[in-house]
Amino acid sequence: MEVFIAQIINGLSLGSIYVLLVTGFNLLLIVAMIIHFSYPQVVVFSMYIAWMVMKFTNNSIILAIAAAVGSAIILNLISAPLFQKVMKKREGVDINTTMVLSLGIGMIITDILSHGFNEGLPIAFPENIVGDKSVIEIGLISVSNGQIYTLVVGIIAVSGLFWLLYRTRPGRAFRAIAEDPNGAKLVGLPLFKTALASYAVTGVLGGVTAILLAVLLGTTSPGMGEQVANKVLAVSIIAGLGNLTGGLIVGLLLGILEAVVQGYISGSWANAIAFVVMLVVILFKPKGLFGMKL
Amino acid sequence: MSLPMYYFLSITAVYILMSWALYLPYRVAHLHFLTVANMAISGYFAGYLVMSLHVPLGIAIITGFITGGIVGFIISLFMGDAPTFAVVIVGFTFIYITRTVVENTKAVGGTLGLFGIPSLFGSPSLHRWAILIILYFLVLIVGFLIYRFDHSRLGRAASAIFVDKDLARSFGVDVKKMGMLLQTFSSIIAGGCGVLYGFIYKSFNLDYFTFSLIGIFMTVIFVGGYTTQWGVVAAAPVLYGVPLLFPPAIASWRIVIYGALLILVLVLKPKGFITREFVYKIERGGKNGFRFGRNKKINDF
Repeated sequence: MEVFIAQIINGLSLGSIYVLLVTGFNLLLIVAMIIHFSYPQVVVFSMYIAWMVMKFTNNSIILAIAAAVGSAIILNLISAPLFQKVMKKREGVDINTTMVLSLGIGMIITDILSHGFNEGLPIAFPENIVGDKSVIEIGLISVSNGQIYTLVVGIIAVSGLFWLLYRTRPGRAFRAIAEDPNGAKLVGLPLFKTALASYAVTGVLGGVTAILLAVLLGTTSPGMGEQVANKVLAVSIIAGLGNLTGGLIVGLLLGILEAVVQGYISGSWANAIAFVVMLVVILFKPKGLFGMKL
Repeated sequence: MSLPMYYFLSITAVYILMSWALYLPYRVAHLHFLTVANMAISGYFAGYLVMSLHVPLGIAIITGFITGGIVGFIISLFMGDAPTFAVVIVGFTFIYITRTVVENTKAVGGTLGLFGIPSLFGSPSLHRWAILIILYFLVLIVGFLIYRFDHSRLGRAASAIFVDKDLARSFGVDVKKMGMLLQTFSSIIAGGCGVLYGFIYKSFNLDYFTFSLIGIFMTVIFVGGYTTQWGVVAAAPVLYGVPLLFPPAIASWRIVIYGALLILVLVLKPKGFITREFVYKIERGGKNGFRFGRNKKINDF
């Protein structure tokens, strides 16, 4: 039972990372109308930038956070005109093409990380950022400071995003475009500018997620982006594409499922089991459990 | 024949076949990445048959096609009319699951893979010729079948589904059956290619079946042009061959080059270089003394 509780705690911190990623992914989907499949790769790229900055600034955490958030925003904003151009060429929203474009961006990011940083080897973050110190210990149950940071920051970030969406004017614009793009255009909402704002907001979320991943895992590798991208898209599909609340629930559940399975089965098989569960749900409910919001 | 030429010709043929395997389901707007997982599943299964059960290579190749077809058919029962993003994620998920299973299964060599696949007809030289003949025979057969498909009622039905599923349904097109047909056919091709891909290198390794492979096939389709089968034929040799001429320092960045090319083409030439209009013009030109449109001859351009 103690193992189970310990893994639930692990799962909640991991799940909060998935929630952040899925929320960013869904926000881009409903406002900018793109499937940004490589969004997790942008996050992993920001982790590498944070690592580089720490390496050259005597392990400055503040600068690493600024670099991670800045690089995620810049990468997202650089890709925005490409997505908009592709959509313009298709004279409308074309999720398939944006997904292919995003896969292309992902290919480039992963290969640059494989060649350009640390000779393609996995990187390890300095000790001062890694949250591996145990702060609560009851029998087998151990909660590290990294898990606490991840959970707390994850809750604050997601709450902040929901506050932005439901309590502010820009948030109302986001929701209006998500609900009815043509209607939003008719009442004078600038579609492109609002979409750009969503790229910037998801950039901030991505940067924060990058730092949380560094704190929680303490390491990353070029291939991590692809694996996480797959999980994020799967969570989004299982929840129902564009469904923010559904993404929140399914993201947490996936984190818990993965952690619980890892508690009882060796690493790589645990990952495969999580994928099998995702696969079965998608095969039987390809349009999601909570309904699509597109 | 020199070894580099053998690899160029054989891998180009695999690229053409695999890109067609992706092209077919994309006719109904499905990015069917299960094809790469299918390559691995069928390849490793055939490798196991050859190495452990000493099954003849010819039978192993046929088994690869059948295995691919069975896996593809079963998945298509669920994914025949699923949205594209669901099809994409099923493909990716299958790749992860396949990799994990292979990594943890000693019978197929685990992370090391299977090495020392025997040669067809006993000699390495005959093996190479045999592989090339099989591959290009397949290119001809599959190419002919796709050509017939594209010029049939079924092909037009697939085009209707690509444009608008609901509209296609209202015309009486069975969207699910069409999706199933194309996914299964695509999986059969992928299954056979998986076995042949391993037989080219006489080994099976997980590094052969990575996400980069999906990226390469996607680049071939979208740069060549996804609206006709000919785009793939034109793009595969160029995209595989040209990086071979680069100095090693540049060639090692070929995935970045592919990614950049894919993005550029999507932005600047969304339908790729060989479009359906272009092929129609050539076909019509051939029948009418190479005339384009009403009055212009091909020389006028």
